Amino acid sequence: MPDFQTIDPEQLRIWLQGAARHDDAAFRALYDATSPKLFGYALRILGKRELAEEALQDGFVAIWHGAAGYQSQLAAPMTWMTTVVRNKALDVLRRHDGDVEVGGPAFDAAVESALQDPRANPIEALLVSHDAKALAYCMSTLEGLHRQVVGLAFFHDLSHSEVAQQMAIPIGTVKTWIRRSLERLKTCLTKGERA
Amino acid sequence: MNIHDNAALCDKLAAEYVLGTLRGGARRRFEAHASGDARLRLLIAEWQDRLLPMAEFAGAQPVPARVWRSIERRLGLRRRYAAWQIWRSESLVLWRSLSLASVALALVMAGVTISTLQQRPQVDHVAALLDEQARNTLVLTADSQRRVLTVRLLDPAPVASDKTLQLWAVPKDGVPRSLGLLDDSGVTTLDLSAAAIGADVAMLAVSLEPRGGSPSADGPTGPILYKGNWVRMM
Repeated sequence: MPDFQTIDPEQLRIWLQGAARHDDAAFRALYDATSPKLFGYALRILGKRELAEEALQDGFVAIWHGAAGYQSQLAAPMTWMTTVVRNKALDVLRRHDGDVEVGGPAFDAAVESALQDPRANPIEALLVSHDAKALAYCMSTLEGLHRQVVGLAFFHDLSHSEVAQQMAIPIGTVKTWIRRSLERLKTCLTKGERA
Repeated sequence: MNIHDNAALCDKLAAEYVLGTLRGGARRRFEAHASGDARLRLLIAEWQDRLLPMAEFAGAQPVPARVWRSIERRLGLRRRYAAWQIWRSESLVLWRSLSLASVALALVMAGVTISTLQQRPQVDHVAALLDEQARNTLVLTADSQRRVLTVRLLDPAPVASDKTLQLWAVPKDGVPRSLGLLDDSGVTTLDLSAAAIGADVAMLAVSLEPRGGSPSADGPTGPILYKGNWVRMM
């Protein structure tokens, strides 16, 4: 697997520009650098390898076709690619509705414990991009249940009412927790608070 | 409701849009607003940059090689690597398994029967090199004790008088190493070096070169005609 720490956004941007010109070597480099992360994410959403492979394939086909329209002045390259793969994974999720189990808490124990205190846990090994580390730190400042609500909504594309059902808490509480958590994350990330 | 005049509401909606909790009609209306409002699109991009890194919490997973092959097939990508950089565009595993599957057949075709092998246990590496149509075309046997590499051309294609076939060991990293020139007529015996059967050899290949061999220090200059890999006999 590539060493993610060496992949800086500028390099990803250059490869994306190459893909936009239909330079397949640049596209392959982009794939090699990012596909393990994106596959891990698709697998987290979909739970089954064959479905995650389908989403990853659809995602990279869309990245190839959409690279020319990617506006680098807006989202970062990895953000954009993650959004593309996420949308494809959610399409797959809808197509295979019923085959996919949400399966309780969004984060597994390792991730959860890493997020509770990134300084005391091996989050460095798990999350390597600068942005993910900053977000992990900010999420660690949320209360555990709030963090879980945000994670459930994000990873399993759940609505307020679906989260409420999963967690067995009132929908009003879910809405409040999510709103406060998002505000808190924005403030924390804007300040650039660090672990 | 006119959301455009309410900065705090715009920000909240962009956040919930990105998180995924903005649903149904509200989501569609927000998308419609955003398509005509660069400021809203910027808010969305900012929230994507904030929240999407959460995807990395899932951890990286090795991706099976078939995923790339499917993408390549769906997009009709042409392979534009130098001809000898085969390992960049093809799965080594595929080639190894092809070699394994075809080696038994190759042995028979070459007249190297299993019983002969048993009488000559010093042959410890065998390779069948295939052409584009995946036909066995060359059989290599290596004797690492006596340091002899024997190459048999099964069905020699005619080679022009100003050309020659050259055998290469392609390492995982670095440039291909020449193992020697082949006699176009049938059997060639070469000195076996560590360069030929080293653990870093990812593939064996035969290229068509000017008489005297590739003029380049970086490897083959002509087309790759045959490729395959070692199978260790013990």
